[in-house]
Amino acid sequence: MTSSRVAITGATGYLGSVLSDHFSSRGDDVVALTRRRPERAVSEWRHFELDQPIDPTIFHDVNTLIHAAWVLSGKDTSQLWRENVIGSRKLIEAAVAAGVQKVVFVSSMSAYFGTRQTYGLMKLAVERTALDLGCIVVRPGLVYGESPGGMAGTLRKISRLPLWPNFKSAKLFLAHEEDVAQAIARAVDHYDQLSGEVMGLANPQSVDLPSIFAGLSPEHKRRLSLPVPAVLVMAVLRLLEGAGVPFPFRSDSLLGLIESADLLPGQERLVQQGIEFRRLGGEFEARVSAARL
Amino acid sequence: MEIVIVGSGPSAAAAALALEPVREATITVLDLGAQLENGRQAARTAMANTTPDRWRAEDLELVSSLPKAKSFGQLPTKQIYGSNFVFENSGQLDEIDADGEANRLVVSGAYGGFSNTWGAQLMPYSTGTFGTWPMSRANIEPHYREILRQIPYSGESDDLEETFPLMGTPDHLPKVTHRTSSVLKRYERHRIAVRRHGVTAGHARLALKGSACRLVGLCMTGCPDQLIYSASQSFDQLRARKRVDYQPGMRVDRIEEDAAGRVSVHATDVSTGQRRAFGADRVLIGAGAIGTTRIVAGSLGLTDRSIMLAESVQFMMPFLSLRPVPALTQDGEFTLNQFNLFITFDSDGKEAALVHCYPYNDVMLASLPGFLTSGPLGAVTRTGLRRLTVGLGYLPSWASPPVELRIGRAKADGSLPSIQVTSGENEATKPMLTQVIRQLRRCGRALDLYPIPGQTKLSGPAKSYHYGGSFPMQAKPFGEFASDLLGRVGPWRNVHLIDASVFPTVAATTFTLTIMANAHRIATEALGGS
Repeated sequence: MTSSRVAITGATGYLGSVLSDHFSSRGDDVVALTRRRPERAVSEWRHFELDQPIDPTIFHDVNTLIHAAWVLSGKDTSQLWRENVIGSRKLIEAAVAAGVQKVVFVSSMSAYFGTRQTYGLMKLAVERTALDLGCIVVRPGLVYGESPGGMAGTLRKISRLPLWPNFKSAKLFLAHEEDVAQAIARAVDHYDQLSGEVMGLANPQSVDLPSIFAGLSPEHKRRLSLPVPAVLVMAVLRLLEGAGVPFPFRSDSLLGLIESADLLPGQERLVQQGIEFRRLGGEFEARVSAARL
Repeated sequence: MEIVIVGSGPSAAAAALALEPVREATITVLDLGAQLENGRQAARTAMANTTPDRWRAEDLELVSSLPKAKSFGQLPTKQIYGSNFVFENSGQLDEIDADGEANRLVVSGAYGGFSNTWGAQLMPYSTGTFGTWPMSRANIEPHYREILRQIPYSGESDDLEETFPLMGTPDHLPKVTHRTSSVLKRYERHRIAVRRHGVTAGHARLALKGSACRLVGLCMTGCPDQLIYSASQSFDQLRARKRVDYQPGMRVDRIEEDAAGRVSVHATDVSTGQRRAFGADRVLIGAGAIGTTRIVAGSLGLTDRSIMLAESVQFMMPFLSLRPVPALTQDGEFTLNQFNLFITFDSDGKEAALVHCYPYNDVMLASLPGFLTSGPLGAVTRTGLRRLTVGLGYLPSWASPPVELRIGRAKADGSLPSIQVTSGENEATKPMLTQVIRQLRRCGRALDLYPIPGQTKLSGPAKSYHYGGSFPMQAKPFGEFASDLLGRVGPWRNVHLIDASVFPTVAATTFTLTIMANAHRIATEALGGS
């Protein structure tokens, strides 16, 4: 592998910063394409906003683009669509037109045909453009690590509650942040073989919600979980959203939990590339086993 | 290098455009070449040269007379400038017959072919469609772009771009009607609710000089300013630049290629009945899928048999809206297709249907029986029409009944074999159409566009004009009814089929741009054009 100049959108977000650190650590020049200058060390910062016209000079000397930026909330759906879907399409088209040789779009396991989730539908819409232009699309599962952000961060907070909610249909594929970063780096290194492919990045064993809470909680112990009707919680969340009451968990995120994808695409490709994902709690179990020995 | 192009429709025009820069190529076009009658042509020209307020009433009446439907609920055969010249028999329909509801008017003898009366829709096929073709969309994309650069093209940036990229910079569409604007605004507001049902809405993409449109409401009967593309316009330009030798009045009957690769094209001069022969180094046949099939089958002795054509079957789907449009008029509007509903059952746009939606135009009123449009029911009918949108939809060929062609023998030596058009069956048609209706019904409230229950009707065999696939392109052609990637059949090395006869499948999405792009690709790759 030779070092390259990797531009990362969303480099100040959870996964973006993991990717930024990973590519920097392996000797690549990382160009952060973000709204604000990142606090962590990167080779260069160039100003970029999804909802603004693209300045093609942001791709100067860049040979790889990893598009991980996404606007999640705070705006109406039409505006979110314009910023995320149209903004992403324009970014990817501009990168290809500017001669960026490798483009990876960070999608989501929520993006599958038939999804009802707003977030998943938006990611799916961008995937179409990315695939038509020969990019690689990766769909990370629920990404977690020592200090997870995003959905895993929220679930980790919930895991501190004395009683866990349990939605019967909620089963997710999980991916450790380091594995995701390594998988994306491997995809970049073998771009010609994977161009135009969709790959689900996660351990192939889906995990139910109580097990996720247990795996994410600091003590890795199960607590009592209470079956909750998802329809009721959904209705309450929608009521709160309709009334403009701020709440840390959105109804759309709940939809992503209870109607998650049941298939991981592109597994044969991952196997061919020797890409594997650890099991949630595997490290904890390994530590306990080691202590017993 | 002597090149003969057979036909003057979209595929022939695209091939000629591809070959224009090949300086060593001398191009002869053999065509029946029926044209608009002189009186109608004069009236159209007079209208084009003056403002609508100064148009003579008799000119307007002559070029905008409306076709009559044979029965209630059926679409009338489209006319252009009040004329039926596109569908008239100039010799090409001799010995062609049809069973039952099947369409007999399957080959055009007009200069420009069926593109004189088409809906002018321009979208590429989805990448998923090419999954069963021996080439990818990336292979054909440069040709899509080149065609879109060379013909009038209007459209807008919208969600349809996800599956159907614009592939160029279109002119803006003219101002859309109140209904179109309302549906697209509602889609914008309720996008997620609509897309959850696999439905995407977007503007029409049209072969139209949108910026020059005077909004006179005559699109459906013939634009006085000729702003809607016809392949004849490309040939007019190529003839003016002296790049083609256009020979009208010729019906091509038979083609032969000798051992050295020299090709002879045998034609009949329809005005005198005399036989003519034209020599060529290469021949490109673009006589329309059935016209080409007939020439090739007769030439190669592939007669006395039945073959199945792939057709993307058409259906008419009327919608009602709760909110009426302010006025029932086509004045001040353009009346081509204005918005599309794309219904997909997969993520790459292969398993999909497309519905082209038309706002009110006078053809709709004219297709109703008299008792509904006058007298006591007239007011009620007009109230209904203010809420009506007519959708013309298509299913993909693999979910459509195939068209069976019975190819008989020629009655005389060297002439064309007889053709009987009849219907095939496909068990997948009804379930897919039911699913399409269901998905659109679920979007009714969000878009204020409700399919009228029980009123979606399939058109008869071959009536969509979206058919082909008699000699599908294959990477390794197998059998008599197959062609290679350059549209070559059987023993021929220098004869290329360039129209939809070589399509492996016919998608539900718009058809003609892919015909043109593929013809452009074949001509370019076979002869080193642009």
